[in-house]
Amino acid sequence: MTVATSHRRRSRRVRLLSNPKLVAGLALVGFFGFVILAHPLFQATIWEGQFRVYDPFIGYDTQVVHPAGPSGEHWLGTDSLGRDVVSMFTYSARYSVVVALSAGVVIGLVSLLFGSIAGYKRGWVDSFVTHFSDAMVFLPALLAVYIIGVGQEPGEFGALAVGITFGILYGLGPATATVRAAALGVMAKPFIDAARLAGAGMGRTIVRHVLPHLVPHAAVQAMIGVAGAVWAEGFLAFRSGVGANIGFGYLVFEGLTWGELFAGVLDTPWWVMSTGAAGITLLAGAFYLVGVGLREIFDPHSLDPRETS
Amino acid sequence: MSLVDTRPEPEARRPRIPWLVAFLSRRAVWALITLAIYLAVVFVLIQVVVPFNYATPARMAGPEAYQAALEALGLDRPLLTRLWEYVAGLLTLDLGNSFTGQPVTTVIADTAPVTIFIFAVGALLAFVVGEAMGRFGAWHRHWASRSALSTVGVFFTTIFPPFLVFLIAFFLRDPFWELREAMGLPADSLAVWRDVAVGQNEILLLMSLALFGAVAAGVAVRIWAHRNRLRWVALSAIPVTVAAAGLGIWLSGYGVEAIDLLYRSDISQTVATGSPLLVLVGLVLISFGQVMFMMRVGIEDERNEDYVLTARAKGLTEAVVRDRHVARNALAPAIAGSFLALPTIIAGMVIIEFGLEVRGLSWAFFNAVETQDIPLVMGVLVMLGVMGVMLRVVADVVIAYLDPRQRKA
Repeated sequence: MTVATSHRRRSRRVRLLSNPKLVAGLALVGFFGFVILAHPLFQATIWEGQFRVYDPFIGYDTQVVHPAGPSGEHWLGTDSLGRDVVSMFTYSARYSVVVALSAGVVIGLVSLLFGSIAGYKRGWVDSFVTHFSDAMVFLPALLAVYIIGVGQEPGEFGALAVGITFGILYGLGPATATVRAAALGVMAKPFIDAARLAGAGMGRTIVRHVLPHLVPHAAVQAMIGVAGAVWAEGFLAFRSGVGANIGFGYLVFEGLTWGELFAGVLDTPWWVMSTGAAGITLLAGAFYLVGVGLREIFDPHSLDPRETS
Repeated sequence: MSLVDTRPEPEARRPRIPWLVAFLSRRAVWALITLAIYLAVVFVLIQVVVPFNYATPARMAGPEAYQAALEALGLDRPLLTRLWEYVAGLLTLDLGNSFTGQPVTTVIADTAPVTIFIFAVGALLAFVVGEAMGRFGAWHRHWASRSALSTVGVFFTTIFPPFLVFLIAFFLRDPFWELREAMGLPADSLAVWRDVAVGQNEILLLMSLALFGAVAAGVAVRIWAHRNRLRWVALSAIPVTVAAAGLGIWLSGYGVEAIDLLYRSDISQTVATGSPLLVLVGLVLISFGQVMFMMRVGIEDERNEDYVLTARAKGLTEAVVRDRHVARNALAPAIAGSFLALPTIIAGMVIIEFGLEVRGLSWAFFNAVETQDIPLVMGVLVMLGVMGVMLRVVADVVIAYLDPRQRKA
């Protein structure tokens, strides 16, 4: 018995790690964990005592002309206001990660709640949820977040609020549609009938017998949706250009506007913009890869409409 | 080839039209209900959730001025009255007036054609490219080509759209305009359009109709040729009809104007506006990856089925097994799956179009959001929903054609 379970467990672990997308995604997530820790770490070590130079908000190096390209002192250069890009990048990573995590959790919860109830109840509840999620697919969550966020004071619509809003909008759309389809598949299984015959009510059936099978599907959707949330936060910072919290999007914004203003006079500070853009692409890509990898492992048949309708 | 042809006689096949009519009428009901829910969500989002309205700028002048502005704009009335106005406006196709005084429908009719053109052509291209790359990637198991495709796909699927805008403008804009010079077209759009009587949207409509008519005709010829076993006709059908459409546009006398429209989105503006063709490139780049991954997973799922072994045992070539047997089965799920990526793709496209300064629907949208022009914001969102629902119905018809089991759904 124990031999069998441990064997099964090990094969599952091997299967998880044999998917290159999942491994690459997890490695990138780990990289961002390191980036967040890097800021206090650097402040305590190599930037020790150089607060005026390496502060992400008010740092200014009087030794060089800004914006300055990458050098030994400033690994990724400085921006037009003389701030160190490494410091800004490592500091702003925490905001983007908060957006990503909050969006991911909300997407997962929303899609599990509505997907499992629709799949269990069927009838008009199911038909309403299905139509609703079909309709939400046409409303890009990024645009909705932008509409909500752009009229607000800087700081009022922070990272957490962006993540939760995005999560609700995306969770009600594509995520619920997918999880509900998976719930229909689970409900057709014999063990659901068995549980009902044994006297389990709706709550118990859903929590004990349906939800465990839906969690991987919700996780996949959450991961894929998170990429959009990171975009949304970046775009909001990029468009409004308010440095209330310097996110990755703000770095792109700053690089681009500086490049436009001084086109032909000074070179575009590509190091500022590319760092921000790389941050967003890598973070979005990290969660996207984890999501796609999980989907390939847990549910290779998820794409099949024959099993969803 | 078996000695006895066991396929049913052509006469015995079920006629095609009836299922399509029944299917379309069911999908029409679905589309109406979904659209109604979408429109309700848009109303709630704009009128209830969004913390500003078009009286907000008056807030600076004090509470009395704000109240007066609310009353002047009719925003102090109960929500139900406003909802009724919205519904009545939608039913009479009147979406109110924009902040600039123009009716919203006029603004949309002026700006939407170029966006619809870019989206329609771009989505079609992205699907063709993604499908081909997915097919290739799933079949060739060599790790180098596979991981190269994956990396490129993930990079463009998750790239931050403003950064893609920068990359396109930096690397593609100049070669693109040099190409125009090489073709001998004047750099100034005014010189092209000076003596032209028809508007740019008419020519865009002509281009769209010609292109999609050509694709539809090509698909029809291809299906017919497959049935009659004319292999070369089937292979060349779509390229030939599309090329014929291009030639037709050129011969119609509006060829130069049509090319100019790929370079500049608003010929009435003296300022240099962006190029729709570059937006199209951006749209293809951000969306082909989704199709590619869906297609790849679908094929990898199908390739171990028994029918693949049978097809190989019959002596069919690898290309035929892949394209006619496996890919066809993987295609319907890929279309259905790609649909869930639509919100991300639309959002990306809107940003790229805005970033490259093309005077399309996104330009109207972002300006409206930033000036808090609520009727226009709602109008654009309504337009997005209508386009999305229509696209979904078309995709469902394609899926049902590919997979007869879906026709009852």
